[in-house]
Amino acid sequence: MTTDTLPPGVSGETYRTHVRAWLAAHVPEGIRVDLPGYREPDLEACRGFEAALHKGGLAGITWPVEYGGHGLSIREHLIANQEIGRLGLPESINSLGKELAGPIILAIGTEAQKQRFLRPLLEMKQIWCQGFSEPGAGSDLAGLRTRAVRDGDNWRVSGRKIWTSASPWSDRCLLLARTGALEDRHKGLALFAMRMDAPGVTMQPIRQIDGSAHFAEVILEDVPVDGADALGAPDEGWSAAVRVLSIERATNRMYRAWRFENEVSHLVRACRADATLAGILGSGEHHRRLAEILVDIEIIKGYVEPTVERLAEGAAIGDRGSLMKLHWSEAHQRFAVLALELLDQAPPDAGPEVAAARQRFQHIYLRGRAETIYAGTTEVQLGIIADRMLKLPRER
Amino acid sequence: MSTDTHDALAAFAATAASAVTACATLEPRARARSLAEAGLIGVLADEAVGGLALGLDHAVPVLHAVGAGLLGYPLLESMLLADALGERPEAARIVLGEATATIAWSGRASLATGRLSGTVGRAPMGDTADLILVPTADGAALVDATGPGVSIRAGGGLDVEAPECDVVLAGAAALCVLDGAAVAAIGQGAQLLRAAAIGGAVETCLAAAVAYTSTRVQFGKPLVSFQALRHAMSRQKLAAEHIAAAIARSLMRPDDRMARAAAFATATRFGAAAVESALQLHGGMGFTWDIPMHRHLRRIRAWEAQGDAAGLHRRLAADLLAANA
Repeated sequence: MTTDTLPPGVSGETYRTHVRAWLAAHVPEGIRVDLPGYREPDLEACRGFEAALHKGGLAGITWPVEYGGHGLSIREHLIANQEIGRLGLPESINSLGKELAGPIILAIGTEAQKQRFLRPLLEMKQIWCQGFSEPGAGSDLAGLRTRAVRDGDNWRVSGRKIWTSASPWSDRCLLLARTGALEDRHKGLALFAMRMDAPGVTMQPIRQIDGSAHFAEVILEDVPVDGADALGAPDEGWSAAVRVLSIERATNRMYRAWRFENEVSHLVRACRADATLAGILGSGEHHRRLAEILVDIEIIKGYVEPTVERLAEGAAIGDRGSLMKLHWSEAHQRFAVLALELLDQAPPDAGPEVAAARQRFQHIYLRGRAETIYAGTTEVQLGIIADRMLKLPRER
Repeated sequence: MSTDTHDALAAFAATAASAVTACATLEPRARARSLAEAGLIGVLADEAVGGLALGLDHAVPVLHAVGAGLLGYPLLESMLLADALGERPEAARIVLGEATATIAWSGRASLATGRLSGTVGRAPMGDTADLILVPTADGAALVDATGPGVSIRAGGGLDVEAPECDVVLAGAAALCVLDGAAVAAIGQGAQLLRAAAIGGAVETCLAAAVAYTSTRVQFGKPLVSFQALRHAMSRQKLAAEHIAAAIARSLMRPDDRMARAAAFATATRFGAAAVESALQLHGGMGFTWDIPMHRHLRRIRAWEAQGDAAGLHRRLAADLLAANA
């Protein structure tokens, strides 16, 4: 049996068997960050690997077959994420397409839009970025000012977007723009699938904490947007998007707990490869914090697995995504601090395992600072819990 | 979970809550009879001794009520011991509330030719117990707390609801012995049920903090309108949800050692912090004997010690190192 593509009729544990076999056969040499011989993959290598993941049935898992998906349930989505998470594989370069734009198009897109956008996205022929935040509207998206005005059947968009992840190499932008008055706040906001090569789009890369420039400020000067690229009605794009977002917050990067385990194992292995670090680990000085990290990972699983079951049964998950987001982001930051603290005690002649681990965990430490900021800051999540879950009275 | 199971668990929770409330005005022995009449002591025990022979999932809502309502009775110990004793007559006496029972959670007694000696500790309400299970090298032994060779003294722990006692053994007779597997099962059950009790305490303290900050006015407005305090309560809610999620996961995966450990570790770590935060939100009142925050906090710290949270974390870390040599 070839494992290149998803055999028909698999589900549940037979699906897991397929996923394991596929990963064993198709993960390219040198792409696993937790193994010796790791080389950071370039854009084309990531694109090729992710396209292969889709072909093998490990991406687009729950999307309908007619749009290039595999028509399986969220339980299989969890299985794939567990198996992918266990290996130190690169982050998706099209996560905003797969986890944000795609689900929104599935929810509110027209039949023609689903046909046009979903399959190319899974096949990595179209990479998406997100155009929500603005220089003057970060956490408070209701204050955004980018305007979309009618131009016959089409639209013209002007404004500035910031923190637009993946924009240097993306083809389409999931753009949130105002069609009504600024005073309308959340009303009168529309979503568009804007072409990034349209005239009037310019990008100023923003160098990030780790030195990379995966973000940009995107300046939109009277950019023409085809009427067929408007997602949902002009005044309901945002409310539909919010519904999708509340699920996405709970389900995106579902592999997180298992990737986190991979990181912890890698850290311990690297430390044990060096006599000095092995001695420090063995002293017991860090035992409490190491054990707490293992428990933190169990808590993430304790949120993810029931969420999958609830969604599989068609039940609502409400604001529970906020609980999980708050926890994993802070837990991951705690872990990164411990990893740095341990590895920074390595002697100058430590071997290549320690050097590779330092590189990985320095990167995780720095990038991790964003985890309590993006997808709703820690403070926003605490506000959601106070307002919507505890229903605390507001100031009169 | 089926609707039937869900209803049964809800009924257990309601029964337990009212039984716990009723115990507040009773003496310890009367509490035993009252809890027995409500069917709570025998939730896990064999049907042959009057028990219900149900699983830990049914004991969880009972212990949640114990924690929420500050029950002054070693119900966790009584439930687990009655189960472990199988069809022995002592099990029936415990289930019926005729005998009060507890477990010494720390130390180890030496057992030779049926006689026990040494000092064991952390036995909740050992001073009013008839039967005490004491750890030994191979498992545990049951002793008559009022028999010769057994003396009980205050243990110096923080809990005031079910104060910890030390048990000094000088040739006391072992009524019966439990093997290592039986004692391990008691220990595992206890970790989960402590987590449930801590979860109940956290939810009670959070509700108290919400009520207090919603009515207390300072600087011309209710305290609840200050974001720093709202966020503190959000973190208490997060702790309560962490504990509930970890308990549910542990029940779903009874053979998963890490999931079991996580329930107790989550409860002690996040639960203690949440109750400390709820106490803080009560201001000076929280520091007084009049407000029950300190009683919940004392209990959580006692449960943390009885379950040896520190040792559990050491073992988890040691296992992690061994698995990644």
